[in-house]
Amino acid sequence: MDFLKQLYDWIDVRFGVREVVDEKRSGHLLPPNINAWYSLGSVLLVIFCLQIVTGLLLMLYYVPDIDKAFGSVAFIMDEIPLGRLIRLFHAVGSSMMLLVILLHMFSILFMGSYKAPRELHWLSGFFLLLLAMGISLTGYLLPWNQLSFWATTVATDCVSSIPFVGSDLVELLRGGKQVGFHTLGRFYTLHVGVLPATIAALIGTHLFLIRRTGVSTPPFGLEDTTNQWQGDKFVCKDHPDGIPFFPNFVLQDLISISLYLACLMMFVFFFPNMFIPSTSYMPANPLVTPSHIKPEWYFLANYQTLKLFPSEIVGLTVQACAMTFLALLPFIDRGTEKHPLKRPVFTMTAIGCILLWIGLTIWGLYS
Amino acid sequence: MRQLVPAFLLVFALLSALPVTAAVTPPNVCVTCHGGLAARLGMPVKIWKTSIHAEHGVSCNACHGGDPMDAVNSMSQARGFRGVPVATEIPSICGGCHMGIAKYHAASPHGRALGRGGPTCVTCHGSHGVVRATIDQINRKNCTPCHGFESALEIKNIMMKTDGMLKAIEDRIIELKNQGILTDTLEKRLFSLRNQSHSLFHTLNIDLIRQESAHLQAELEKNNSIGSTGTGLSIGTLAVGWALILALLFYLIKKNID
Ligand code: HEC
Ligand code: HEC
Ligand code: HEC
Ligand code: HEC
Ligand code: HEC
Ligand code: HEM
Repeated sequence: MDFLKQLYDWIDVRFGVREVVDEKRSGHLLPPNINAWYSLGSVLLVIFCLQIVTGLLLMLYYVPDIDKAFGSVAFIMDEIPLGRLIRLFHAVGSSMMLLVILLHMFSILFMGSYKAPRELHWLSGFFLLLLAMGISLTGYLLPWNQLSFWATTVATDCVSSIPFVGSDLVELLRGGKQVGFHTLGRFYTLHVGVLPATIAALIGTHLFLIRRTGVSTPPFGLEDTTNQWQGDKFVCKDHPDGIPFFPNFVLQDLISISLYLACLMMFVFFFPNMFIPSTSYMPANPLVTPSHIKPEWYFLANYQTLKLFPSEIVGLTVQACAMTFLALLPFIDRGTEKHPLKRPVFTMTAIGCILLWIGLTIWGLYS
Repeated sequence: MRQLVPAFLLVFALLSALPVTAAVTPPNVCVTCHGGLAARLGMPVKIWKTSIHAEHGVSCNACHGGDPMDAVNSMSQARGFRGVPVATEIPSICGGCHMGIAKYHAASPHGRALGRGGPTCVTCHGSHGVVRATIDQINRKNCTPCHGFESALEIKNIMMKTDGMLKAIEDRIIELKNQGILTDTLEKRLFSLRNQSHSLFHTLNIDLIRQESAHLQAELEKNNSIGSTGTGLSIGTLAVGWALILALLFYLIKKNID
């Protein structure tokens, strides 16, 4: 014990850690009615780190070449000790990451946490969602199997319907007329370099913003649930009667992270084929189109929407409008009420949109 | 996009169809000319087209000789045309490609009785309609015209067991494939084991078949354990259970502190 204390002192006199710990313990108190939904952000951080670690391990053996990619992934699965597990953690983890991002977003939506002064938190988070979708799309091509090849062909094909520049843009994206060697190079660079770095930077921004404003007060268990922010000067919201981040909320984070890991491992060990159907065990063949080309679940709604409209450009425009609206939501919804039941129109609309999205996803799955 | 995919398909289908059909049936005058002939002369083409040989590009000239590229002199002796082979020639013609089997056959009681009522390759497999051989071809109808079925049945019973194991492994390979496990080496090994076991029949030597079948079965037994994922479930249960216990533990500590 004595030794530990000495070590702590040794570090403290050099870096002032005690100040940081004390601040976490009593300085920056969290709202007393904070709930479990607030731990999803920490879960997301853990997920991102897990993706990085498993991704780097996969990179040790993965070969980004159209003749070798499929074999190298098979080699990882079969020959490398724990390779199968690592790949499954990475592949299943990417799906779970999007799921948790959506849950995180929904909770913020219903608790009104995006309202001033947190518009930029929302906006940076929205871009994180886009980037997460992007990194999944680019990663999906890398195993170079039938599913990934054709899903990428179809996905990149959408871009061609953009007027005037569409076909040039597709060629830029694919590095040629068809999905091929150059597409793999591009997607690989995006997937392991550009996108992870951008995501890390954006997560940093996201956290910095949260650090400056403090977390929002959940609108539950209070008399007055309107937004208290005045908008005249900067204040970091403090809660004199609140609870400390360490250890109280850290424990909540740990509970959620453990539950998340239990879910993840359940899928990895018991239902891996839910995320990796057997068609993905066939090497990509540009000459044979599989009968059902379906994207990953998180793109099914987009896919179905595109099919619903007579012309692709209309379908794309509708989706772009919906996404823009979502991105700008905090600037459009200026009401001060945060409790979901006290702003029924908003809540019903949001639930309606989520149900529509789920409906389109299911429709896309079975169409 | 919806119009593009079928369009792509069509183009690819056309492009890919050209070289493929060319590879299966090279321009072959025997097939074209005999295909237009009637009865005895045309029938072989119709039957041959359904055979495993046609599938693998083994054409008329492989057995009858002659020049399939020269319409005028295709059936000239000078070009190696042999006409309709007689029984005694057949094993050596087939044996040009199926060497091991021809050797087994030659040494067997059937081969030794060649020309004296012993069956040739085509007695059992046919000449033009050769299909993939199965153990079911050892049956009373095929084997009793010349002698009893006792020894035949004994051989069949020994081979049945090997065959069953081969089937089980084939199913297993499909299953493994669906789990994304590489099966190339396994498939190659299975292929050669399958050939060995199916060729072995032609020796008609019960002791040899019994002994070799035991070898093959031991070999197959070894392959059966490949890719078994038996421990996955229990490790999975442990891992998930461990995470849940951690969650519970953190929950209890938190309750204590709150
Ligand atoms: C231009 C047409 C034509 C072509 C080409 C041709 N044949 Fe014939 N073939 C015939 C006719 C007609 C007969 C029957 C008359 C005869 O025996 O010459 C025949 C007979 C045969 C017979 C049976 C002979 C017998 O004695 O009963 C065989 C076997 C045969 N052809 C094989 C071949 C093979 C192998 C080729 C290619 C290398 C070939 N033919 C090319 C027209 C053709
Ligand atoms: C795998 C070897 C093989 C191939 C390939 C083959 N034949 Fe034969 N063919 C034979 C044998 C053996 C006979 C002897 C008759 C018998 O026992 O069935 C024969 C007999 C014949 C006969 C005489 C039929 C009769 O009833 O007298 C003709 C004609 C003939 N073949 C034509 C062809 C033509 C044309 C092709 C190509 C489409 C062809 N054969 C391909 C092995 C072959
Ligand atoms: C030019 C070479 C060639 C000649 C000559 C030939 N074959 Fe074949 N045979 C093949 C090829 C190639 C295959 C297909 C190989 C495979 O998939 O097993 C085959 C397949 C077979 C099969 C099925 C094998 C299986 O796996 O079940 C049988 C039975 C067979 N041949 C019998 C004969 C008989 C009988 C003759 C003589 C009348 C003959 N072959 C002459 C090349 C030949
Ligand atoms: C065309 C006639 C013929 C047909 C058909 C035939 N055999 Fe034979 N078989 C013979 C002759 C001839 C012998 C040699 C007899 C002898 O040496 O006493 C023989 C011998 C054998 C022997 C070894 C002798 C013994 O009894 O141990 C076995 C085993 C055998 N045949 C199995 C089969 C099987 C299995 C089939 C069917 C797939 C079959 N035969 C079809 C003619 C035939
Ligand atoms: C007495 C009938 C008989 C005779 C004669 C015979 N076979 Fe077979 N052959 C069979 C049977 C039955 C099988 C299937 C054995 C099995 O499934 O295990 C077979 C299997 C085969 C196979 C498939 C082997 C594989 O790898 O799957 C080939 C090729 C073949 N025979 C060629 C020949 C040739 C060539 C000859 C002549 C030299 C010949 N056979 C003579 C009955 C015969
Ligand atoms: C720097 C971090 C990362 C690295 C180095 C990395 C590396 C790799 C590599 C090498 C592959 C190909 C091997 C395979 O398919 O299993 C891959 C696949 C994949 N990655 Fe990543 N990755 C990273 C982060 C992420 C993130 C954050 C996500 C999701 C949000 C993600 C989603 C995917 C997906 C969906 C696949 C395809 C999975 C499959 O079907 O196999 N990756 N990654």
